[in-house]
Amino acid sequence: MWLILTKLAWKNIFRNKRRTIIASTAMGIGLAALIFVDAFWMGMEENMIKTATASFLGDAQIHRQGFRDEREVSLTIQALDKLTANLAEEPIVKRFTRRTLASGMITSPASVGAVNLVGVYPPTERFLSKVDDAITEGVYFEGENSRDMVIGTKLADVLEIGLGHRVVVTVAQAESGELAQEMFRISGIYHFADEEMNRGMVFIRIDKAQQMLAIGDGVHEIALKFTSVAHAQDSELPFWSAYTRHGNEALSWTEILPQLEAILKMSQTSKYIMGIVLFGVVVFGIVNTLFMSLYERMFEFGVLRAVGSRPLRMAQVVLFEAGALAIVSIGLGAVLGYLVTVIFVRRGIDYTGIEMMGVTMQEFLYPIMAIRQFIVYPIWVFLFTIIAGLYPARYVAKMTPVDAMRRSF
Amino acid sequence: MNLAEKSDVIVTDGVTKVYAADGIPVNALCGIDLAIRQGEFTALMGPSGSGKTTLLNIVSGLDDPTEGNVWLAGKIISDMSGNELSDFRRDNIGFIFQAYNLIPVLTVEENVEYIMLLQGVPKAERHDRVASILEAVGLKGLADRNPPQLSGGQQRVAIARAMVSQPAIILADEPTANLDSKTGADLLAIMNRLNVETGMTFVFSTHDPMVRESARRLITLRDGQIDTDETKCSG
Repeated sequence: MWLILTKLAWKNIFRNKRRTIIASTAMGIGLAALIFVDAFWMGMEENMIKTATASFLGDAQIHRQGFRDEREVSLTIQALDKLTANLAEEPIVKRFTRRTLASGMITSPASVGAVNLVGVYPPTERFLSKVDDAITEGVYFEGENSRDMVIGTKLADVLEIGLGHRVVVTVAQAESGELAQEMFRISGIYHFADEEMNRGMVFIRIDKAQQMLAIGDGVHEIALKFTSVAHAQDSELPFWSAYTRHGNEALSWTEILPQLEAILKMSQTSKYIMGIVLFGVVVFGIVNTLFMSLYERMFEFGVLRAVGSRPLRMAQVVLFEAGALAIVSIGLGAVLGYLVTVIFVRRGIDYTGIEMMGVTMQEFLYPIMAIRQFIVYPIWVFLFTIIAGLYPARYVAKMTPVDAMRRSF
Repeated sequence: MNLAEKSDVIVTDGVTKVYAADGIPVNALCGIDLAIRQGEFTALMGPSGSGKTTLLNIVSGLDDPTEGNVWLAGKIISDMSGNELSDFRRDNIGFIFQAYNLIPVLTVEENVEYIMLLQGVPKAERHDRVASILEAVGLKGLADRNPPQLSGGQQRVAIARAMVSQPAIILADEPTANLDSKTGADLLAIMNRLNVETGMTFVFSTHDPMVRESARRLITLRDGQIDTDETKCSG
């Protein structure tokens, strides 16, 4: 019986080829759109995380507890040597680097500004941040000159300075709060898509920064990269507790940038809402197609009922047809979705410099295809189609044979 | 008439059907009392609008009477649930419609075997019975064709479909109306022969004089009432 119902459904949907092609193309486009949008969002999420973490932040950071709130320069990381020795042995840690962080004033002959003074160790810093890649003029800490400074393009404009020009930086020292001043020479100018960074962050060598801040060999931050980006989003990872001790705290980027994590979660919700709206529209198309098909063949349904088919069997015929329509649509949509997505996966989409949800994109956005998109969304299409088919199926099941035969065209 | 006799396969008791046409009640049938015995070859005659098709629909359980009762093979059909009525029609009634009403996307064999699929008849038996009935209606070797490919043969398929499950009653609504006279005569001969050989009960609604000639009982309806009811002498 199932075989003949399947055959009946399959052949019936091709009785009006044009209508079936139009309906299944509409559903297929819906599926393709969903696959593409999912791939686009995955690409955008990765791009946003990468932008947020790869430019400077890292996958995770270790600080002295309280430092992030107070920005007190005396709050340097505890038991630093032991901690870095452990990190070097940690199998999930790929790279790490030390930094000092302090607020200060920068003065040029023309102007003055407030900056975040970052002391970096260039040989390891280049693996954690992209400042070296973002240099547009000069160089990124070449040679041994302890007075080299790298600043952003925006700050250079504000201070009206360029390569080789001299500036004076003033900071408050740890413990005593005494002001310390040093003169630096601009050795490099970087440019990120993020204007805040271009204006507010200046980089000097870490040993010079430690000396200015009077913190000895102390550091304020260890930024690190994991062997897998997934580790950063695994809140159960033993790493966090292992390094949150001795007065230090280890935090993932999801905790350092909770707004980004929230935005990503919100984007997931938006994606599902969009999917539901998209399929809600498609559902009306399916119901319409099925009803058109039913009305054309109402007499046949009447005959099938007359010869002894139970009402439920009639509903099954309609649902089988809905299922057959879904299968055709899924085939079309999956192929279309793959083709459209793969074009953009290869070419990328230029979103550089565009701020989305508070994150300024630094690189081309490449959609990410996943097997899940070709399993989950087709299942959605199938289920939505069957759900949409329930109404016409119920209609046919409730119709008396004589009514069905009378209502035929 | 309150009690059906043992050999009566169709009994109606005061069957009335009132339709509402644009809000105006129209009496399609008025108090029809009728008993049709097993093995009868009966024609329902009468002008258009006299109630022939309505009566067939009601005695087959396709439509409900406004008043009155219908017994089919000794059971009151108004007491049956939707599923019971479907099963009863499946097992006891064969339908032949004026417009054939075959499923065009199924082959001749699939159309004919559909009812047996509903009955759960095993595949081998289905195949044998389909072959046998197609031979009886003159469609041997055409089982794999689709109905639209059978010029003039679709009503033969409809007859085969109605009879293949060996129901007690065949109800035919104007079965020869869309056929040329030769094909109509051939099919009537087939139905007559099957009636004699199997003892199935045939009830036709018709205007066709050929059916009138073949029928052994003639019931004439006029304005929803039985006008005449004649049984021809056998032989």
